[in-house]
Amino acid sequence: MMILEYEAKAMLRAVGVAVPDGSLIKPGARAPRVREYPVAVKAQVRSGGRGKQGGVIRANNAAQLKAAAKKLFATEFNGEKPEMLLADPWLAIERELYLSVTVDSAAGGYVVLYSPKGGVNIEDGPPPARYAIGPAWKFRANELRSILEPVESDYRIRERVISLAQRLVDTAAARDCHTIEINPLAKLADANLTELMALDGKVVYDEWAHNRNADIEAQRQGELKRAHKLLRASMDMGHMYVKLDGNIGLISGGAGMTMGAMDMIRDCGGKPGCFLDVSPGPASARGYKPAFALLDGDPDVKVILVSVFGGGTQMNRVARALKETLAVRKSKKPVVFRLDGTFVEEVPAIFGTFGAHNHATLETAAKEAVKLARHAK
Amino acid sequence: MSILLDQTNRVLVMGATGNYGKFFMKDAGSYGTTIVAGVSPGRGGTDVDGVPVFESARAAVAATRADTAMVFVPPVLVRAAAIEAIEAGCKLAVITADEMPVRDMIEIRAAAQANGARTTGPNSPGLISPGKAKMGFMPSFCFMRGPMGVISRSGSLSYEGSKRLTLAGIGQTTVVGIGGDPVKGTTAGEALALFHNDPETKAIVYLGEIGGVEEIAVAEYARSQGAKPVAALIVGKTAPPGKKMGHAAALVGSKADGYTAKTQMLAKSGVYVCSGLPDLVKQARAALAAS
Repeated sequence: MMILEYEAKAMLRAVGVAVPDGSLIKPGARAPRVREYPVAVKAQVRSGGRGKQGGVIRANNAAQLKAAAKKLFATEFNGEKPEMLLADPWLAIERELYLSVTVDSAAGGYVVLYSPKGGVNIEDGPPPARYAIGPAWKFRANELRSILEPVESDYRIRERVISLAQRLVDTAAARDCHTIEINPLAKLADANLTELMALDGKVVYDEWAHNRNADIEAQRQGELKRAHKLLRASMDMGHMYVKLDGNIGLISGGAGMTMGAMDMIRDCGGKPGCFLDVSPGPASARGYKPAFALLDGDPDVKVILVSVFGGGTQMNRVARALKETLAVRKSKKPVVFRLDGTFVEEVPAIFGTFGAHNHATLETAAKEAVKLARHAK
Repeated sequence: MSILLDQTNRVLVMGATGNYGKFFMKDAGSYGTTIVAGVSPGRGGTDVDGVPVFESARAAVAATRADTAMVFVPPVLVRAAAIEAIEAGCKLAVITADEMPVRDMIEIRAAAQANGARTTGPNSPGLISPGKAKMGFMPSFCFMRGPMGVISRSGSLSYEGSKRLTLAGIGQTTVVGIGGDPVKGTTAGEALALFHNDPETKAIVYLGEIGGVEEIAVAEYARSQGAKPVAALIVGKTAPPGKKMGHAAALVGSKADGYTAKTQMLAKSGVYVCSGLPDLVKQARAALAAS
């Protein structure tokens, strides 16, 4: 789970990374105040590409600041309205660098990524230098130095980057972060400021460390609070949901199988309306009711496809849970079923008691869902 | 043969007296898995269906010569249980738990390396060598013995994929769930190396997803001298960028993470790339025919 830039910068500051002395602007603030002008007013959102969408505005005085705040609070960035603005002093930059720490399968743990050319177009440049560490305690400054030598010729910057990298690796491990990214990490034009400064910060928490990290638990609670009521009920069951732009609501189990079913819907000429993996939740009506309520309440969803292939999850139990769920369901949106897995042989008899049909394959189920969606108004 | 697992593995179950542990001992035991011990602190001296339960992995290994651990404890306890089993002498620890902090898996992986052991998972259904033994909770009826090695990042997709292979008469040497987390006990590249050295495995089916770096290792293997033929299905062509699709590693953060980049890279490396699930059997057959 990604946290906001100002939260990430607070974390960086706490571990001794230099960050600009910015001011927070809350929604509804009448006369936002900053320490000095000019400032960069930055929308605090989680989606990427903010700069390219006009999410950063320069303000030279109080009037411009007020106008910028008004505009940014009214703008949606990939469907997300800023909860907060950050006004950072506008600093003259000599060079922009890129530094991040993330977890990586091939490394079996943490990696450091560094590029001497940071900034908004980092993806278009050559891939960054990569130092594979594994567990945090295997970080060796000399190993990173030998990797950076060919790409960073200024030894003063190189040495600063190495000590910052070590700090970020330690922080990622101690505070359970998947990613800590600084882009840009800036060498400022002011020759008196030799410290490299984090002008932006991105931190992705490991949400499953919530038991041992109160900040992560607070972020999880915040995520629940931001979700609308129907989604919250589903999230409370442990369901994982991503809204998509199609009209076939998909209830499935397992991340891979759910994506497989999404792809199948498209291959049959339809469009999936969501990724909804209910497998972390209970395989009972208590689990399925909020999933149906969520999709029934979404006006974009015209048809629901239930596709579950269970190993540990027993299909006779799922079939009975669906029967119980549909018995009290008010929506008339058509539902297509495809259950397979342990005890699937008992499903037709259970479905027969409420007139449902279980498709033998995902192909036929997806085709029917697409056909029904085409005829739906 | 098969990889990692057959009837000769002597299995101890960490968390033997919980619901998962008890179900596993019955289900996997009847399938053919040799289960010799359980470990449950506070329950030492008791038994589960005749299998003795011990206070510690060390005591269990000493008494039963267990060499393989099935870890069935809650996610926050997995690190402790897996490392205990590894340091007691287990050469393989199978982890199925999801919702596990990634730092814990990093430490488990390092402990396994330091002790010459291996783990699989987490966030995985386990593994099965059809007709021989299973670890975890894969539904047995989806699998049959045969020449195909299967590697999967996703549990239910491995059932769906394996069932399609089985119905088409293509059996499996071993099906390994490497899991959906960003740090794995066994990576796709490591699983490929194991299948490469297994004489019974003639070809390999890889079931992957968008996001992460596993597919790079699959492409590298396919390009290598003397590689066994590989067929691959990548799911998530309809996944939007920047959103985590259930699995922590299934996130399109950059172009290289996306469906098009991955499938193009695999196809260029000589992998039989499936256009979707319905195409899986055809590409698997093509891979087998090329072996």
